Amino acid sequence: MVNAFAYVPAVVLLPFVSFLVALGAGRYLPKGGAFGGIAATAGSFLLSVWVAATVAGGRAYNETVYTWAGGDQFELTFGLLVDPLSALMLVIVTLVALLVHVFSLGYMNDEGETGLPRYYAGLGLFTASMLGFVVADNLLMAFMFFELVGLCSYLLIGFHFREPGPPSAAKKAFLVTRFGDYFFLVGVVAVFATFGTAAFAGDGSFPALAEAALEGSADVWTPGGLELGTWLTVVGLLVLGGVVGKSAQFPLHTWLPDAMEGPTPVSALIHAATMVAAGVYLVARMYGFYALTPTTLGVIAFIGGFTALFAATMGVVKDELKQVLAYSTISQYGYMMLALGAGGYVAAVFHLTTHAFFKALLFLGAGSVIIAMHHNEDMWDMGGLKSKLPVTYYTFLAGSLALAGIFPFAGFWSKDEVLYEALVHGLNDPLLLGGYLMGLLAVPVTAFYTFRMVFLTFHGDPRTETARDPEPVRWNVKGPLMVLGTLAVGTGLINMVPVQKVFGLEGIDYLHRWLDNEWGGIAGLSSHHYADIGPYSSGYLVGGETGTVLVGAAVSLGLALAGLGLAWRFYNVASPTEHTAALGGIKDVLYNNYYLDELQVWIAYRTADIAGGADTFDQGIIDGVVNGISSVSLAGGGRIRRIQTGVVSEYAAMLTLGLIALLVVLGVGGGWFL
Amino acid sequence: MVPPEWYLLLAAGVFCIGLFGVLTRNDALYFLMSVELMMNAANINFVAFALYYGDLTGQVFALFVIALAAAEVAIGIGIILVLYRNFGDIDVTVPTEMRW
Repeated sequence: MVNAFAYVPAVVLLPFVSFLVALGAGRYLPKGGAFGGIAATAGSFLLSVWVAATVAGGRAYNETVYTWAGGDQFELTFGLLVDPLSALMLVIVTLVALLVHVFSLGYMNDEGETGLPRYYAGLGLFTASMLGFVVADNLLMAFMFFELVGLCSYLLIGFHFREPGPPSAAKKAFLVTRFGDYFFLVGVVAVFATFGTAAFAGDGSFPALAEAALEGSADVWTPGGLELGTWLTVVGLLVLGGVVGKSAQFPLHTWLPDAMEGPTPVSALIHAATMVAAGVYLVARMYGFYALTPTTLGVIAFIGGFTALFAATMGVVKDELKQVLAYSTISQYGYMMLALGAGGYVAAVFHLTTHAFFKALLFLGAGSVIIAMHHNEDMWDMGGLKSKLPVTYYTFLAGSLALAGIFPFAGFWSKDEVLYEALVHGLNDPLLLGGYLMGLLAVPVTAFYTFRMVFLTFHGDPRTETARDPEPVRWNVKGPLMVLGTLAVGTGLINMVPVQKVFGLEGIDYLHRWLDNEWGGIAGLSSHHYADIGPYSSGYLVGGETGTVLVGAAVSLGLALAGLGLAWRFYNVASPTEHTAALGGIKDVLYNNYYLDELQVWIAYRTADIAGGADTFDQGIIDGVVNGISSVSLAGGGRIRRIQTGVVSEYAAMLTLGLIALLVVLGVGGGWFL
Repeated sequence: MVPPEWYLLLAAGVFCIGLFGVLTRNDALYFLMSVELMMNAANINFVAFALYYGDLTGQVFALFVIALAAAEVAIGIGIILVLYRNFGDIDVTVPTEMRW
């Protein structure tokens, strides 16, 4: 039998080839190289499905492919790690990438954009780097592809580089994520220094070593005799820096809303479904390590819960379609972080999966609306698009219901499980409980802004001429929407834990069983193992487990419906008005993103001041000393060289004087004159 | 036998005459001759001490110095010739190109 794992490199390399083709020959190909990208991602998708099927057949893969630097202390390698988690992620990334490529035909080619080879090259390289990140078997390789993903994000956000906004947004995205990545890089070095390896899986991997060291059966290096637990927490937090940057968590989330300057399919691919997922995926990938450090988990959960609420409140006042979606993305990744921090490994991966589908759907739906509206993104110029764009409307509605967490759409199941995990583990842990409460509070806000967006865009009367007569969209837009719409409705089926718990139906929690290596996987990378080494114990509300499930689900669904109802009441009218004025001063704060951008600019300027001081010190004192010494030698040399007159007699006189001086010194020292 | 102090005084006197010539004269030929005087002052010392200690080494050295002085004169005269060709004069204060 042919081994699917032999083709894992091809999954990564196919989009890379499409990148090379689009870059080198894109201008000679029809559609600017689009078909190469579609073929490559379709190939990758099929191979990924095959790989996932092989994993389901009870096998996993963890091999080093290439050692690019070796030494006595450790080796730096490229390798492949295919287990249930990465197989699932491969399928998600390749599927979304494929649909985005198809959608791009409608959004970019049909709209007459120029520079398409550059666009498709960027998409290809992005897909390849993301897939490389997903299959990475060690932290250093993951870091490299993480950075490549960041680079592609920069290239694609700044696609329309002739306008002022996109290049600036691209730079911001690059710099802000890079800020987090500095910590990540230091974390990678710390992992190498501590464990001598950065492998994710196996007996000699760093999570396994950390576990053994905490049990006392292995010895690892810690700086300055620091206590092991503390040091592991520090390393975990360092790596978390990269995660916070890439997954747009507070306080490094500011780049993501600006990144909406990029073309909409790029927003769908990069800033919703995959790249931002890289951060969360990284935590899930090395969860065996994070589960050992309760402090880090608490921090992750709290940041996640806070970000979920914080970003949701900003989404409430935004006027532009993509801005609302951007804040919802930040908010939803906050939920995933909350789940990871709360020990809900499966819940986080579940929400990652469903969110990838419904958020890609919403972004592509927004793209479709933007085509129809001739690239006007302001929701107050829309309205009444429901009857003109039925396919977009119904798929967008499915995505919105999923995002708002309305039963029985995909987002309901995953968000409910996230909150459930946070609740049962948080009853004994105040930090976690805080995260849970913020996450819960974000639910009605999410539902409110989601349906504010839906109602403003699709319901009521058309408010502009363009909205009255929108441009129709073609199959290449509708096709991906329908696929993703189906997934947004149905993905919840893979993990209906509440149904199982309430009705006692065993075995329908497929994702739990999948991530628990029930069909195959790598020892030490299962959800069971993580739960065993994790710090949490479960507590239940009234009625035990079943009761807690029901109460939790009912509360979050009730809150979501309340938010939806409020949006209905305010905005589902023929000609809605802005109700945000009722918020008073808060509106300005929300509209200006809590002035965080200004804060960051302020911090940047203060840093520049400090750097200016250091520069003055360097120029004045350090360089001053060096320059002073050199001018003294120059001036001294200029004077002293005058004794070289070139006249032989004077040299002779010098010699004689020297001889006499020598005689006098010898005489005085030797005591001749005493 | 003449005591060695006299030899030393003679040598010092000859040396000082040579030195005086080097320091005061501008003519290259005087220069050369003054240097010869200074060398012969050293020779007198060699021979005097050889006699005083009853050791022939000093006298052998004196012979070497005489041979060396001959060679030095050959080179010195060559330099003076070149000086004359280039500057039309053998005044040592004229060529000052080799200065700062």
